[in-house]
Amino acid sequence: MTAVDPIIQIHNVFKYFGTLQALSNVCLDVHAGEKVVIIGPSGSGKSTLLRAINRLETIDSGRIIVDGKDVHSGEHDINRIRQELGMVFQNFNLFPHKTVLGNITMAPITLKKMPELEAKNLAMSLLEKVGIRDKADVYPAMLSGGQKQRVAIARALAMQPKIMLFDEPTSALDPEMIGEVLDVMTQLAREGMTMVVVTHEMGFAREVADRIVFMDQGQIMEIAPPNELFANPKHPRTQKFLSQIL
Amino acid sequence: MLQRAFFVVVLMVALGSQALAKEIVFAVDATYPPMEMLDANKQIVGFGPDIVRAIGKAAGFTPVLKNTAWDGIFAGLAAGKYDAVASSVSITEERKQTMDFSEPYFEVQQGVVTAKEAKITSVKDLAGKTIASQMGTTGYFVAKKIEGVKAKSYDEIGLAMEDLYNGRLDAVIADSPVASDYALQHPQYSKKLKLAFTIASDTPEYLGIAVNKGNAEVLKLINEGLKKIKANGEYDAIYAKWFQKK
Amino acid sequence: MSPQRQSPTVKIDIGDGAAIPSKKDRGLFTAWWVAFVGAIVILGSLCLSYPDPYWRILAFLPDGIVVTFQVTLLSILLSLALGLVTGLGRLSQNRVWNLLASTYVEVIRGVPLLVQLFYIYYALGRIEAFSNLPPLAAAVLAMGICYGAYMGEVFRAGIDSIDKGQAEAARSLGFNRRQTMALVILPQAWRTILPPVGNEFIALLKDSSLVSILAVSDLLRRGREFASESFLYFETYTVVALVYLLITLVLSKAVSHMESKLNYYDRS
Repeated sequence: MTAVDPIIQIHNVFKYFGTLQALSNVCLDVHAGEKVVIIGPSGSGKSTLLRAINRLETIDSGRIIVDGKDVHSGEHDINRIRQELGMVFQNFNLFPHKTVLGNITMAPITLKKMPELEAKNLAMSLLEKVGIRDKADVYPAMLSGGQKQRVAIARALAMQPKIMLFDEPTSALDPEMIGEVLDVMTQLAREGMTMVVVTHEMGFAREVADRIVFMDQGQIMEIAPPNELFANPKHPRTQKFLSQIL
Repeated sequence: MLQRAFFVVVLMVALGSQALAKEIVFAVDATYPPMEMLDANKQIVGFGPDIVRAIGKAAGFTPVLKNTAWDGIFAGLAAGKYDAVASSVSITEERKQTMDFSEPYFEVQQGVVTAKEAKITSVKDLAGKTIASQMGTTGYFVAKKIEGVKAKSYDEIGLAMEDLYNGRLDAVIADSPVASDYALQHPQYSKKLKLAFTIASDTPEYLGIAVNKGNAEVLKLINEGLKKIKANGEYDAIYAKWFQKK
Repeated sequence: MSPQRQSPTVKIDIGDGAAIPSKKDRGLFTAWWVAFVGAIVILGSLCLSYPDPYWRILAFLPDGIVVTFQVTLLSILLSLALGLVTGLGRLSQNRVWNLLASTYVEVIRGVPLLVQLFYIYYALGRIEAFSNLPPLAAAVLAMGICYGAYMGEVFRAGIDSIDKGQAEAARSLGFNRRQTMALVILPQAWRTILPPVGNEFIALLKDSSLVSILAVSDLLRRGREFASESFLYFETYTVVALVYLLITLVLSKAVSHMESKLNYYDRS
């Protein structure tokens, strides 16, 4: 691998759910430090694509290479690859039996053998970053949706991943809480994190994305920088989709 | 009437002197090996029948054994269906009120069954051993009274014998006829088990032949015969046949 | 493509143990106290008013109670271990493990416990390797194997009740399957599993009375021995029943206490 290789390379990926074509000949490169936002109607395959990047979904053909390692070939320890890929889910998926601190420190302590104190300090600084330092010792059940998602981001960051994947991180939130999560994500983007984000938040996409990927029916229809895509969508389906949501 | 008398005369002549001997009918419940049971040819055999036949021979009468269910066996005697009951009947005070008994022909003792190779020949040798019997039987009372043993109770004596056979027990105590049946007659158990010794119980229990109250004639014959076979060694031979190792 | 995942509060109801008293169920809660106080008062007053035979009977039972607890505790430990392996097997993608676990559950659930006890002790006793198996070990083995099958279903349901998102979150952090199961799924499943496990525990304690058939001197056998000698059937079995009742009532209370302790992270 050379320095100019994209950190994520998706080559001709196909995936079927039975006879339904979930991903159809998908090709996409993401460079280190790049922020890519994937948009599209529901059922377009955008979450499936995102989840295929860290192999939460299998693929039927094609290749996905992350940081030089083929994710689906079985040649590499998937658990190592996943440590480089932080993931944030729509439904937070915090561990309810662990405190906020426990949620964040569990992976570094177990997987990186990080000393407990160091992990705790790291967790506290991450909580500081996402703005909920005071919630370190409570259980997730006592947090609001926005707070939960910020903890989930901190949890993913605690493994110090090279890439962050966001799967509709604000879709399950009450409207008044969306902003606080997007703020954290925007800040993360400014710090230079490589990010792949599936979202319906067009404002965020416009502000943060380097490129926007529009997917429909399992295919990538159009890839363009936000200004171009929003102002001048080329594909008729992109035009139709944008006209419906904007 | 004349015809009948003639017929009887003819019959007596035909049968010869044998028929001159008096017939005495004994009721036997042939379900209690080895005391009374049916052999493969449905013939009544066992210790009791052998004794009865020997008595008949010694006292000069012809014993006829009639297989009769235990339930109602004494009612049949009272109704005159047979002359005596020779079916391991224990002589009790209660029964003596309604029936007359012969001299005892057997003392029920507690038989101690052990493995063939075990070196247990007396109650003293049982100290420190695990012994068992059927719950609620004399055998279990005896077992519990022996000092220094671990006494176990089983639902069926057969289960205790099975455990003895499998080496889980050191000894099983049962009524001596039952004990000798398992240890001496049973085709399988007798290969590994032996009747080590017997223990007389505190309240001796004797078996006798029952006749209707006042039937002195039959009782006299039986007692005469019994006395004779005890004197001439025939009793001992029969005892040895059924209760000692072949 | 994001299916809405919800975490329903799954209640596994395998009601063959005893009714576990919970403050939410006022009727049952009161009934527990009525039964408990009632049993103590009846047993106490019988023993005080008629020490012969009631106190004599009660005094005959303690070593039987100890054996009953021994059998129950050892059996439950074995059944938990077997249940975990079976439950995981039933959910496993490993076909051999899955088939083995499923077959075990099918076979064991299809044979009455009493027959299993006879089988392990007497039938297998004919095989040299098993012939020295002490009755207590045979009893524990049979009860553990039998309840392991039921426990396997409890574990399976408990693990199944945990939102798939939990496993995905753990796997996405880099935890392997085993770590995910041990650190994330089981600690949560345990809470769903505990009430039915407690129930099985109590059911097992009651079923342990069956081991008296192996001449294990448990509580019931002690009672039967007493009754067979004294012929005091009414008195003996009254005391035996009351003692069993008191034990299961105390246990069901303990289970409900443990259950509420495990709910710590839900309090908001």
